[in-house]
Amino acid sequence: MQLEQLSARALAAAIHAKKISSLEATEAAIKRLEAAHALTHCTLSLEADAALAAAKACDAGIAAGENAGPLAGVPLAHKDMFDRKGKIASWGARIRAPAPATQDATVIARYKAAGALQIAALHLTEFAFGPTGHNYVLGHARNPWDPTRITGGSSAGTAAAVAYGAIPAGLGSDTGGSLRLPAAACGVTSIKPTWGRISRAGAMPLSPALDTIGVIARHVEDLALMLGLLAGPDARDPAASPVPVPDYLARLDDPIRGLRLGIDAAVIGSAHPQVQEMLQQVVSILGKQGVVSAACRFPDWQTLDHLVQLTQMPDCSAAHAAYLRSRPDDYGPQVRARLELGHFIGAVDHLTALRARGSTLARTLQDTFKDIDIAILPILADPLPTIAELDIGGGPTLQAAMARVVKYTRPVNYLGLPTLALPVPRHGGLPNGIQLIGRPYREAQLLAVGRAYQREVPPEIARPLS
Amino acid sequence: MTQEPQAADQKSSEAADLSMPPERRRAAQAHVAILAATAAKVAAELPLGADVDDFRRILIAEARP
Repeated sequence: MQLEQLSARALAAAIHAKKISSLEATEAAIKRLEAAHALTHCTLSLEADAALAAAKACDAGIAAGENAGPLAGVPLAHKDMFDRKGKIASWGARIRAPAPATQDATVIARYKAAGALQIAALHLTEFAFGPTGHNYVLGHARNPWDPTRITGGSSAGTAAAVAYGAIPAGLGSDTGGSLRLPAAACGVTSIKPTWGRISRAGAMPLSPALDTIGVIARHVEDLALMLGLLAGPDARDPAASPVPVPDYLARLDDPIRGLRLGIDAAVIGSAHPQVQEMLQQVVSILGKQGVVSAACRFPDWQTLDHLVQLTQMPDCSAAHAAYLRSRPDDYGPQVRARLELGHFIGAVDHLTALRARGSTLARTLQDTFKDIDIAILPILADPLPTIAELDIGGGPTLQAAMARVVKYTRPVNYLGLPTLALPVPRHGGLPNGIQLIGRPYREAQLLAVGRAYQREVPPEIARPLS
Repeated sequence: MTQEPQAADQKSSEAADLSMPPERRRAAQAHVAILAATAAKVAAELPLGADVDDFRRILIAEARP
């Protein structure tokens, strides 16, 4: 059994059927994660002893006939920004919470209730505030396909570990592209659900108006399984949506023939020609499965990008205001410069962006989605950059360089729409990805398209290209 | 005539308590000026009753079958 190839769902079934023990699966995952870390710097803390003890307990429970949950005994690892009782998350930073968490983040608790294990806390950009995987405090993450290239960020470690086959899936978060960019750069999938679909209780806040918790995985079926486990209302997060959670797994094979895929040629036209070509390949693959292409038009993309910055920057800066004044040198140069920026945005402009968000979303749904079901956009505007190319710290090119990296992701956060990231066919080259954007709460539709796509473009395990 | 000095005073006092080198301060001001211009355009077309909670209401309304 090639464990690294299995989805979490398939691994859980194998453990449940006693074809493999959780202990064996966890030992193998730890070994692979160590190898992945040596290549990519994906791990911030490996928790092998605790994970192996939990795996033994899980095996004992299964032997005793206990119903241990849909992910019983499956080793996972997550971005190190979620509270876990008795631990202090690193947040990818020097500045950390002053005391250990008193309870688990809701998403961690829901994974535990499903029987999943956590073998490590994974790399992230400092405070999840950066789209490339650079971390000037704890070290940069490296891409498993080519360690000179970026992983994308901020959920860098999760994407690298998943791509390498160390774990089948893990948690990330997305405020301006932090699930989609690393998924694209590492050649895996991610689901950024509708804003509010998954509780953020116990997750490190970056910009609460935009923060969205999601999952990175190699297999779309794992995104469906895990979204179903994690989504739903939560008394600890008033923004967590009360909208009922569908059975995403049951709907994975919903027919996609006849779905209309929107293409905004003007917006896509700003991407590098190679990226446009990759996107067309995906359109063609989906077209063969009966998905019909149609023109669509987003609201002015630059206006959306400005509105999301006006929303995000003061939100981030407010959370960090005290530390930015008292401990400025404890921040890395890039995060420090970005946090400073938010202090220059006026309250009226910030509130204008927030007040305009509803009408902008309504217009997008009425106009952009009038004749389409799903829109497709690039994730990265360019072929995968090197770490050196974007090693700009807090220097004068920072805003322009970051704006190019998040060009296609950040505006979607302003709209709060669900987004599925899919890797493009590599043809032996470096990975990249596209995003499928749906109407609010239509994650099941996106996942069905993703499942059909993976029949043509199966998940891959990342190893350095020769 | 009196507006220019006031504007200059306002700019120099922005985030005055942050320890920033002048070039980074100027870069931040220049970037935010672009964003502010967009905010002004958007505000001009926004009805008085637009509310920060409109966004959540529209999301939830979309969930209805």
